[in-house]
Amino acid sequence: MAQAKGILQLPDDPRFLDMAYDVQGPVPEEERNLLSNLNPQDREIAIKFWESVKSDFRFNEYLRGCLNCGVCTSGCPAAKFYDFGPREMIQYMMRDEVDKIWEFTNKKVWACVQCYTCSMRCPFNNEIAGLIMVLREYAVKFALPSAKEILAPYRRVLYTVLTMGNQVTPDMIQPDSFPDWGPQAVEESKNMDVYRKAIPVDLMQRTDIGWHPSLQTAVEMMTIMIESGVMDSLKGVDKDLYDMIMDIYEERKSQLEEIKQKWEKGELDESELPDSWLDL
Amino acid sequence: MSAQEVDKKIEEGIKEAFPMTDTMDWNEVYQRIIYRYSTPHGLNHVKEELYKLEDKGEIIIHHIKPYNNPVKMQTLNGFPKVIPTTRLWQHKSCGQCGHIPGYPTSVFWMMNKMEVDYMDEPHQTSCTGWNYHASGASNPVALAGVYVRNMWRAYEIDYFPLIHCGTSFGHYKEIRNMLVLHKEIREKLRPIMRKMDMDIVIPEEVVHYSEWLYTMSKKAAQQRKYNLNEVRAAVHTPCHVYKLVPEDTIYDPDVFQGRRPAAPSGTVQNFGAKLVDYSTWWDCCGFGFRHILTEREFSRSFALFKKVIPAVEEGKADVFVTSDTGCVTTLDKSQWAGKAHGFNYNLPVLADAQFAAIAMGADPYKIAQIHWHATDVEGFMRKIGVDVDDYKEKFIQYLADLREGKAEPEYLYKPHRKIDFYLSVPERVKWYKGEGQKSTSSK
Repeated sequence: MAQAKGILQLPDDPRFLDMAYDVQGPVPEEERNLLSNLNPQDREIAIKFWESVKSDFRFNEYLRGCLNCGVCTSGCPAAKFYDFGPREMIQYMMRDEVDKIWEFTNKKVWACVQCYTCSMRCPFNNEIAGLIMVLREYAVKFALPSAKEILAPYRRVLYTVLTMGNQVTPDMIQPDSFPDWGPQAVEESKNMDVYRKAIPVDLMQRTDIGWHPSLQTAVEMMTIMIESGVMDSLKGVDKDLYDMIMDIYEERKSQLEEIKQKWEKGELDESELPDSWLDL
Repeated sequence: MSAQEVDKKIEEGIKEAFPMTDTMDWNEVYQRIIYRYSTPHGLNHVKEELYKLEDKGEIIIHHIKPYNNPVKMQTLNGFPKVIPTTRLWQHKSCGQCGHIPGYPTSVFWMMNKMEVDYMDEPHQTSCTGWNYHASGASNPVALAGVYVRNMWRAYEIDYFPLIHCGTSFGHYKEIRNMLVLHKEIREKLRPIMRKMDMDIVIPEEVVHYSEWLYTMSKKAAQQRKYNLNEVRAAVHTPCHVYKLVPEDTIYDPDVFQGRRPAAPSGTVQNFGAKLVDYSTWWDCCGFGFRHILTEREFSRSFALFKKVIPAVEEGKADVFVTSDTGCVTTLDKSQWAGKAHGFNYNLPVLADAQFAAIAMGADPYKIAQIHWHATDVEGFMRKIGVDVDDYKEKFIQYLADLREGKAEPEYLYKPHRKIDFYLSVPERVKWYKGEGQKSTSSK
């Protein structure tokens, strides 16, 4: 492709990559700066973001090379419905295209359905779906607007998973939020109480949780989330949710400690405990 | 085109594609074609490193013991995989327990029927993989912590973990590899585990229940109550079962000549149903983790156009059998909305465990809980000779009695003590399996 005034003209369409350039390989930094559509502030974050992704311990393990063969995109379910393709991402990564990675992360990365078909088919054994997860993880860590937008309808799920270790609850299936699931969903939600009671396993008889975890399990779950830094990431994305979970943690932790101490001393009277700590 | 014509066409197609198919020793071919999954760490299998770490005292391995009645199976890269068949710790699935409760109860019921020893406890969390793949709101240390904490609870009572969910299975394989191959993750994780009086424990194998079910399927099929010879079953093998860490999923030359995962296709086959093929067998179901909750127009379209319609139009399937939480949900719930556009397929969708349990005579409502399904499972059951109306009448009465307090819930195993809902006390197995305390079962 012709170079105008010494600046390489990059077409937006990734299908032209490799085929169209006189110069192959990463574009020199100064040229990329000139081509950037990002304002300097965004670009600074974009560079920080990309450097963090690249320094993650998984990056070099997951990204091994690219033939640009397109096998990943040809088998990709999301590529059939969205303006999205794994090859595009891998090519940007191979070329160190910070601006394109930034754009991909903000506009496209959430389209992936995480089926790992690309990873299994890739002749280079790239862990492509894993690279997508690295981008998503850092999008949350950097509290990018796209991550906030994606997580907004997800609050209840996050709350349940972080406090009780269950992703979904039976009573979330409500006719107004799942109208496309048909009359069965309406029937379920109307009779949820008795339907759950008719499940022949005591752990699964509540409507507000898939199975009833023990209090100790719930506290341990939150401990892991706090100690590993997940809660710190969440703070940037949803401060209210963060505060709520931390309050719950403190309360449940002290409940647990009290019960544990009594049990160890042999002073615990089981009959005084409520049937479920979830009702406390 | 009639079903017979479709079968004939498929047979002709296979003959044309593989002219030596009748004379070939597929076992031998399978042994020779080794898909050697390379890692940048230069290992054939991560287990090589796993044992070295145990020798160094860096980790504890939860070994499969002779009393787990292990059975040796094959994986994609030729490595053996050992499937424990009894003394199992049930690692439940959040989506199954939440929305397809007949899925885990069918597993428990089959285990009762085959006298398999198991523990199902409140001391388990989900793998958090659904949340992770959907939202990215986690990190490797947290994911490893969740994995190891659950594995510890199984290790301390010496019951081998059996993973119910396909995503948990794939995800745990990935986390296991990460823990083994990356010292920095182990170093960050260890102090967190110590805080909870635990250490890093890794089971020798990550085993999906569908692998257990396939391993047991010939034995289970001996107790089959209904004849499935006329059933044309299409199978959807869940992506996270065999595409996520592909080298750790079982294959068998008897199932699609070892070219596709053994489970759940082999289970369907061993129960006597006819396996039918369709061109998009390898495709995703459309679940998408985030999509099924907040972007369902994708899930619906994909499930219908890429899975259900090809299975019915190409394979003339009567039933769709799969082996994962998300796939059962997506394939089952996505068909109703298609009616609005004239796509009225209503293909029954079942998990392999439900399919097998129903075939073995489990109560379709009390055990397989098919009233949580949106597709025409009743129609499928009528086809194989289940007296649906009788079961249904009794179940409706049971529900009414439960509602009015005239009946007590029936249990597959003895309900837990109150203390078990608070603490994981070490002597819990002794109490649970104690003399004269045998579980009540609604076999």
